[in-house]
Amino acid sequence: MARAGRSPARRRRVPPSLVGLAWVSPWLVGFLAFFAVPMALSLYYSLTDYPLLEPPIYVGAQNYRDMLHDGVFRLVLVNTLIYAAFSVPLGTVVALVIAGLLNQRVRGVSLFRAAVFVPTLVPIVASAMVWMWLFNGELGLINQFLIHVVGTTHPPNWLGDKAWALPALVVMSLWVVGQPVVIYLAALQDVPVQLYEAAALDGMGPARRFWHVALPTISPVVLFNVVILTITCWQVFAVPFIMTEGGPDRATYFYTHYLYDNAFLYQKMGYASALAWVQLLIILVLTGVMFLVSRKLVHQRSA
Amino acid sequence: MEALRHTTAITRRAAVGVLGAAGLGFAVLGPRPRKDAPGGRVVLDYWEKWTGQEGRAMQRLVDRYNASQDRVFVRYFAMAGIGQKALIAIAGGDPPDIIGLWNFNIPAYAEAGALVALDELAAEFGIRREDYAAAVWPLLTHRDRLWGVVSTCGTVALYYNRAMFREAGLDPDRPPRTIDEFDEYNRRLTVVEGGSGGEGRRLARVGFIHTEPGWWSWLWGYFFGGTLYDGARDRATAASAENVAGYRWVQSYAERYGADALISFQSGLGVYGSAQNAFILGKVAMVNQGPWLVNTIVQYKPGMEYAVAPFPVEAGVYDAQRPIGLLDSDVLVIPRGTRHPREAMAFIAFTQRRENIEQLSREHCKNSPLAASSPEFLSSHPNPFVHVHDAIAQSPRAFVFPRTRTWPEYEKEFNAGMQRMWRLQEPAAGALERIQDRAQAQLDDAALRRTRRAELRGERA
Repeated sequence: MARAGRSPARRRRVPPSLVGLAWVSPWLVGFLAFFAVPMALSLYYSLTDYPLLEPPIYVGAQNYRDMLHDGVFRLVLVNTLIYAAFSVPLGTVVALVIAGLLNQRVRGVSLFRAAVFVPTLVPIVASAMVWMWLFNGELGLINQFLIHVVGTTHPPNWLGDKAWALPALVVMSLWVVGQPVVIYLAALQDVPVQLYEAAALDGMGPARRFWHVALPTISPVVLFNVVILTITCWQVFAVPFIMTEGGPDRATYFYTHYLYDNAFLYQKMGYASALAWVQLLIILVLTGVMFLVSRKLVHQRSA
Repeated sequence: MEALRHTTAITRRAAVGVLGAAGLGFAVLGPRPRKDAPGGRVVLDYWEKWTGQEGRAMQRLVDRYNASQDRVFVRYFAMAGIGQKALIAIAGGDPPDIIGLWNFNIPAYAEAGALVALDELAAEFGIRREDYAAAVWPLLTHRDRLWGVVSTCGTVALYYNRAMFREAGLDPDRPPRTIDEFDEYNRRLTVVEGGSGGEGRRLARVGFIHTEPGWWSWLWGYFFGGTLYDGARDRATAASAENVAGYRWVQSYAERYGADALISFQSGLGVYGSAQNAFILGKVAMVNQGPWLVNTIVQYKPGMEYAVAPFPVEAGVYDAQRPIGLLDSDVLVIPRGTRHPREAMAFIAFTQRRENIEQLSREHCKNSPLAASSPEFLSSHPNPFVHVHDAIAQSPRAFVFPRTRTWPEYEKEFNAGMQRMWRLQEPAAGALERIQDRAQAQLDDAALRRTRRAELRGERA
């Protein structure tokens, strides 16, 4: 044994807890340097006037009070709320339906599964550029379809019209539905077959089996995905930043975009930090509410 | 248990070995400082926003400087999002020696003490106000101090399609001078398909559209004698009578052709710097653009018949000798914290020599920022109408971005307001009033912050 020569006293000199800490130290250092310390600093900066190029000055809760009188803050809050309110349920339903369809034993199902997941691998900038052309009011494929197939005479100018820009982004959010689909699919395949068989014996068709058997069984996974999707929606940034720059007339100006503008365009890092903490608070509250509501709706498997 | 201990010991050793090997590998094979600088020279890092053709032109100038002397070596780094990167580098205390910013960055950076004031250094290196076009120096100063030196500049003028003028029965050698004339030209150049009204009516071509390419939604009031900011009183002046007249004029286009029709038409226009450029493609007969548009014309439609004139103005403010137009510029600044400000200034002074600044301007297809362009510059410039841009730059009525640190917020307000006005969702007067109120609140807030900092400095002193 290689260690046979070591004295027991030497081994005792380093307590196991310290050895453990040493082994996780890369993660701990990363956590402290890139998460805990920046968060603590951000909390402090939220109480300061900090233009980034000058030292921060403590102003107490002024940044938080300013939010109460900031019309743009209210606007981005409402825009983000509407976006999340439509994207989360729509994304969840569509992902569940696709997962349900992909769970069938049909030929070429692997190909369909890959096809659904592939869009999530496409860089978001490339996707945004493609969707900008799809939504183009004059030449876009969607409007060409509406004109020539559906027979619409005045299709919407999706990204150019204040009333349609936000719905267009909600529709586009479905483009990356592949990730939840994969998770739902895995969960659906984990549903015990005997439950389906029992339901079939009771005379249930495929739709009712999905609704009454599969869905309750995978409800913890649904909860997980809804929470993740809600957080993602509240942090939406890249797609509207590229596709609409927040327009027209701030119709697609979302919370994180406003935060970014304050930090780097207006050099109001203090106010941006306060916005970030309010955003965190909103997400925490929403997540808490979802967990509370889920107590009655989510199926808890016994150990 | 013994087996477990044995496994742990081996894993630990292996892990330590791997980590050690990785560390050693990084030390031996890891990144090294670039060795492209000859030894013994002071090395300056220069961050710039230009890539592609413009970046290569600046790199050539840097190479000439490096070859012209043996004391300083400048390294050129092109990067996207230079405003944010410079901000973070300066705030982090590790800035480059020279940064190429946009001129509207100067007020915010200067007020924050992020730049080296250049008054003394510039004078020492022979950079004088009288050598530059009238509108250039105010771009470089803030609160009576000089913070940057111009690298390139361009004024904005009316580009029009001569062939379309002829086709519409207009004299291509007599561009419109006043807004009334311009409206008449626009009416004759605009082509509506599908009859005079009803279903299927669409714009096939427009004479002019204010939102193409839509880079400067805020400048239309200037052609009516308006301004957006009174620096002396720190007041937003968006809702002045001149600006209201200017934006009523903008709205008159949406009223004439229909806001939806114009927005739909514009959504079909291609990307500016491509073969689908609306002006090049003939979808728009007139555009308000800088001299750099010729780069795109030469690349994608070299035989295009076009001409350039100062943008028309409201009849009451027309003066052929004093055209009105935007002057935009890029600036070179020395950030706070640089170790070699004098060497940086020496390089900047080199870029300001007539032969260098004119060559760079020519290669960027821009007009010169100097008070008088050389005949060689005008005759060899790729834009045959550069003299028009030059004349606007020399004009006492050339205007620049409002010189306030709150301009980015002010501009955002303006862009949102412009979209409301363009869609006829709000009358010009009301929209401009709202923009002015918000911009003033931003200015007041900035003033409050400035005072707070001044007081704090006073207390500390």
